[in-house]
Amino acid sequence: MLGRWPSRTSGSAAAARRPRWTRPVIQFVAAGIVALVILLVASGWLTKRAATAEAIVVARSTTQLLATTVVEPALSRGLVQGRTVSIDRFDRLALRRLIVGDVLRIKIWDASGRIVYSDKTQLIGDRFTLGAEERAVLDNGGTAAQVSDLTAPENRYERSFGQLLEVYAQVWVPGGRKLMFEAYYSYADVSRRSAQVLKEFRPITVAGLVIFVALTVPLVWVLARRLDASAAERERLLMAAVEASEHERRRIARDLHDGVVQDLAGISFGASATARELSDRPEVARRLEALGLGVRRSLRTLRSLLVEIYPPDLATEGLAAALDDLLAPAVAAGIDVDLQVADTTGVRPDASALAWRVAQEAVRNAVRHGRPQSIRVTVTVSADLLVLIVVDDGAGFVPASVPRGDHLGLRGLRDLIIEAGGALEIESAPGVGTTVRLEISR
Amino acid sequence: MNRRTYRSITALAAVGLFAGAASAPALASGGGGGVTKSGHCSAHSTWKLNAKPDNGRIEVEGEVDSNVAGQHWTWRILHNGGVSAHGRAQTLGPSGSFSVGRRLVNASGADQIGWRAHNPATGESCAGNLTI
Repeated sequence: MLGRWPSRTSGSAAAARRPRWTRPVIQFVAAGIVALVILLVASGWLTKRAATAEAIVVARSTTQLLATTVVEPALSRGLVQGRTVSIDRFDRLALRRLIVGDVLRIKIWDASGRIVYSDKTQLIGDRFTLGAEERAVLDNGGTAAQVSDLTAPENRYERSFGQLLEVYAQVWVPGGRKLMFEAYYSYADVSRRSAQVLKEFRPITVAGLVIFVALTVPLVWVLARRLDASAAERERLLMAAVEASEHERRRIARDLHDGVVQDLAGISFGASATARELSDRPEVARRLEALGLGVRRSLRTLRSLLVEIYPPDLATEGLAAALDDLLAPAVAAGIDVDLQVADTTGVRPDASALAWRVAQEAVRNAVRHGRPQSIRVTVTVSADLLVLIVVDDGAGFVPASVPRGDHLGLRGLRDLIIEAGGALEIESAPGVGTTVRLEISR
Repeated sequence: MNRRTYRSITALAAVGLFAGAASAPALASGGGGGVTKSGHCSAHSTWKLNAKPDNGRIEVEGEVDSNVAGQHWTWRILHNGGVSAHGRAQTLGPSGSFSVGRRLVNASGADQIGWRAHNPATGESCAGNLTI
């Protein structure tokens, strides 16, 4: 008796079985959230960079303004010479008009690296080596800014402030001597400025993306429904085509089984019986016996073809027997065959049928294309899964390089397996054979 | 008497007044790192000078007490021999005194602080010094 291909699930049922996260609308919303996060991080980084640059520009302008309008008019030769009263006067001015707002510390340097004045009075008179940038400002004018190196000895009193931005500007003493005015600003101001800019722009950015997602989600939902419907229709058509093909194959197989196969069997038995009756004419008897053998060989071949044309009834014969029949042509072709099948009692019929079909394709491909010396078929059954593994030591192939037309059987099966919640893996490489592995819920 | 001679005599008189005032008995006290000195001016007023270290600086306060409200005085704070600050002040009631506070830079080594006050109307002068 000929078996049947398992019935398939409908498209809508398949969609319902699909994991929630694979649904297009959820994927779109998830992508929107990811895009939002990326946008927030990127805009935050860019804003901080822009705010930092802006804060540095502001600090440089402020320093230049202080240098020109406050420091220079108050500079005196006495201050440069270290006269106590000149330092007193400048100190009072500095505390009143320079150490205000964002400015946390000031220093005035001469060309030798001596601190002529600092509001941290312990530094007055100390000498340090001027950096290239500082010296360039002192010699050539302009301003420069950099993050303070708080490990430097001249900055030892600034460590309690945390990260600082220091800005230099050239100043002139009456009489034509150049000094360098240095002002320190808290880097927290830069962060604060950055936060202000972010606060202004973030709502626009977030709201824009949220509105975009909110507007497009309904569209995506409609499109997803259409896609689902289209997939269901495609699957329905595929099922109809497969069922029509099955019907046709079943008819051909039945006709062959009931007609040609029975006729050939009769011819074979008749030829053998006649040969036994012609003991007096051994030559004719031998030819008749040979004829009967040839017919039986053809009959076996025809039965193998029938098995390929239409699967056996797995419910009746069992998966092990069906796989044994499946491997008969390989045995006839001289291939070493090893079949191990666990007890498949309780396994869903559609899972058994899929396993048989995958084994059929794998064995057929191996015999046709691989020219293997051995084929090993193993079926194991666990609490949840049925696992089929078909291993051959044939020529193998590069899976990615197989033209779309070839191995169409396994490709087509893969869709059905995925629909059934299973997984199909094909591993192969030239010269190392092929392994086909099916996992499906039992 | 020509103008130059008059100026010289005036200057000498001023120096003499300040010297006399400076030589007047002065009381000194200290505590908490601060130094206070006080004394009599050239007439009836008294002066007081206080200095104490304050985070790298010296907090200086000079005071004159004349017991007469409404007097106008000029004052100077000296630091290591130079005039660090100067100005004008008026004695206020009911005590008839004025005081001036300034922060000076704490220079390396000992700091010489001076307090000078002069009442142009009465010619009275006050002078005090301390070291911190």
